[in-house]
Amino acid sequence: MQQVLGDFIHALRQSGLPISSAETLDALNAVQLVGIANEPLLKYTLSLTLVKRLDHQPLFDETFTRYFFSRSDSQADTSTDDTIDPDQPQIIQQGHIQQDHTQQNQTIEQNQTTQQDQESNVGNNNSAPQSQLGQQLMADDQAALQIAIVSAVAQTNAQDMKLFTQIPLITFQIMQSLGDSELAREIETGLNNSNLAESATESISENFALLLQEKRRQLRLQVRDLVEQQYLLFGQNIPKQLREENLQKIKLTSIDHQHYKHMGDLVKKAAKQLASMHSRRQRVTKRGTLNVRKTIAANAAYDGFLFHTKWKSTKVDKPKVMVLCDVSGSVSRVARFLLLFIHCLQDVMPNVRSFVFASELGEVTDLFKSHPMDTAMATIMQNWGNMPTSYGQALTDFKDLGMSDIDNKTTVIMLGDARNNNGNDSVEIWQEVYRKSQKVLWLNPETRSNWNSGDSIMDIYSPYCSKVDVCNSLRDLTRILGNLLKYQ
Amino acid sequence: MIIRNKDKINSPGMIKEHFEKLGYICNDSIATAIYLACHLQKPILVEGPPGVGKTELAKKTSEFLSAPLIRMQCYEGLDEAKALYEWKYSKQLLYTQLLKDQLGDVMRGAKGLDESVSRLHQFGDIFYSEEFLEPRPLLQALNSEDGAVLLIDEIDKADQEFEAFLLELLSDYQVSIPEIGTIKAKSTPIVILTSNNTRELGDALKRRCLHLYIPFPDPQTEQKIISSQVPELNSELSKQMVDFVGQIRDLALKKAPAVSETIDWARALLLLNVGTLDHDWVKSTLNLLLKFQDDIEAVEPEIRNLLNPKRF
Repeated sequence: MQQVLGDFIHALRQSGLPISSAETLDALNAVQLVGIANEPLLKYTLSLTLVKRLDHQPLFDETFTRYFFSRSDSQADTSTDDTIDPDQPQIIQQGHIQQDHTQQNQTIEQNQTTQQDQESNVGNNNSAPQSQLGQQLMADDQAALQIAIVSAVAQTNAQDMKLFTQIPLITFQIMQSLGDSELAREIETGLNNSNLAESATESISENFALLLQEKRRQLRLQVRDLVEQQYLLFGQNIPKQLREENLQKIKLTSIDHQHYKHMGDLVKKAAKQLASMHSRRQRVTKRGTLNVRKTIAANAAYDGFLFHTKWKSTKVDKPKVMVLCDVSGSVSRVARFLLLFIHCLQDVMPNVRSFVFASELGEVTDLFKSHPMDTAMATIMQNWGNMPTSYGQALTDFKDLGMSDIDNKTTVIMLGDARNNNGNDSVEIWQEVYRKSQKVLWLNPETRSNWNSGDSIMDIYSPYCSKVDVCNSLRDLTRILGNLLKYQ
Repeated sequence: MIIRNKDKINSPGMIKEHFEKLGYICNDSIATAIYLACHLQKPILVEGPPGVGKTELAKKTSEFLSAPLIRMQCYEGLDEAKALYEWKYSKQLLYTQLLKDQLGDVMRGAKGLDESVSRLHQFGDIFYSEEFLEPRPLLQALNSEDGAVLLIDEIDKADQEFEAFLLELLSDYQVSIPEIGTIKAKSTPIVILTSNNTRELGDALKRRCLHLYIPFPDPQTEQKIISSQVPELNSELSKQMVDFVGQIRDLALKKAPAVSETIDWARALLLLNVGTLDHDWVKSTLNLLLKFQDDIEAVEPEIRNLLNPKRF
């Protein structure tokens, strides 16, 4: 029973539910209390103890059904078999009979020996297969076969499967450990012998060989089914995890369009992490300073002893952020991600103003607020994207639009490659921005070696930045924006 | 409390029946949660949209177990002085006054500073003792002899520190008061926490609780709820209402009508003596269901379609 629940929890973890060992213990206690005979009750119990977030509920439901019921049809007949402990509840018999393999292995061995005994009693029958697997197949002992398969599955570590392509290999390994090679040899000799007139006593007839072959095919299908099920339970989410890890490191410019959706999810995840970190930081400063006037008034009743202290509640200044995003051809892909990130961050920092530019600069804060991400992106790309860059013009526009709103609590983030097409740089405006704001970050998607090459004028702007950084992967972005929140 | 009610909490089915008798129609999941909470002595964290009966669940549980309900409403800035205990400062002050008067008697005849100090130590110190402790809801729940149902309402509105402060209570049913020490529960209370998801709760808190999500009920259940709350309403009308509300919930609204709103609406319709729902009645009573003008404006043109879905 512990084994069954343990495997189930393992399967849940693989599908992305973070289940701690304390929760596992709770689940075990709860299941002991309610028993496992009643399926809906078991489901409610497990879901109450293991699922702690609403969005995990569908995953749980899916895994539950798959784990306990996917094979109920094919194994329905095994439940009547008396090799399985009658005390074991119905549900476990129908689903995973994987628990206590060791104990069941012994039963198999007993079965096998009794079969061999019977064999020798009957004498050397022409139509009896010699190989063990053949005997089992002919005896049609489904339960024993099932148990043999399950224990073979456990031996081949099918639970550690990572990729879909491993299924045939694992199937082959299981067939081998069941004794498939002997059976194959026997069938082959059986088929060959039929051509010869005399039939050897130790080999089998052709019809019999064909029958065995058919049975072997069925067995293989059965094993494959089981392996696929194992993959679905334990393995199918591992590629997703691998992909997520890789996506974090990959350069933003070289991400395929099909990865875009996953990337969006990742950005949201990172933004959420930052959000929780930020809100925690906010609380620390909450008690503020002693409000002497109120304290004295409140303690007049206590003979002037200051028992009740009253505090001035300090208003927590939320960081103001202004983001300028270059969306011209060369950086547009990275800019999309920064905009996506800023969009997600709006929950944390309500004071985010976003601007985009190529040659002319426009504010897109309201666009983000009123439209879903995809439409907003499309509008931005349509209106500003893929135009020749002019930092001079963009900064002049920014001076009109945003300069008056910059104060000593504002962080200004510029995302751009500083490739100005040899135009006017308007560096004095950037200098003013630097002077008025608390912090100026310049994130350049190009690697450092490419800065100042060709028409890039990073050198002109960098003296007026608090920090200049390369930003071309999600990990960079998370780190930089994390620092922004931490030290604000 | 558990032992006293042993025969009532034998199985989730039995709990469900009892709740129904008390007028709370619940699904199996809720009954299982209460059953597990009673037997495993674990808190339940109840989540769900507003108005599906989260707080009501706690009230009915207390009625069901015939235990007092101790309710603590959470809000931003709630701290342990308001949730756990407070010192009775004025009494402490009086105590020091008394002490001053008696001090002369105690010290009389003492020779030298050492003797005075040792006499002072012999003098019983009850300044920080349970007599001067003003128990707040959490401490009340721990101190109640026969157990209690402790409702910590809208835990998501409280600060993160408060959440952390609750952890000790939720896992060990004890609290630490620095001046006194650890106070253990005399009888383990049933703890029900509710949350409206205004912020994500910490994993540590969630780990310690059974997690129960109460969604909007399905039409049959909702009809059952209405007939138990407003028994005078005819079943035809209540079916019509439930269908209508169910459809409204599928629309994109700022706030979907909850069960409590359906019940209010049912009461209003009963009062107005409405036989069947028609366009005019719905239009004039829509403000009972929808709490935003935007929502009302969005639904109004659709009323006819919603009342006669078959035409489309």
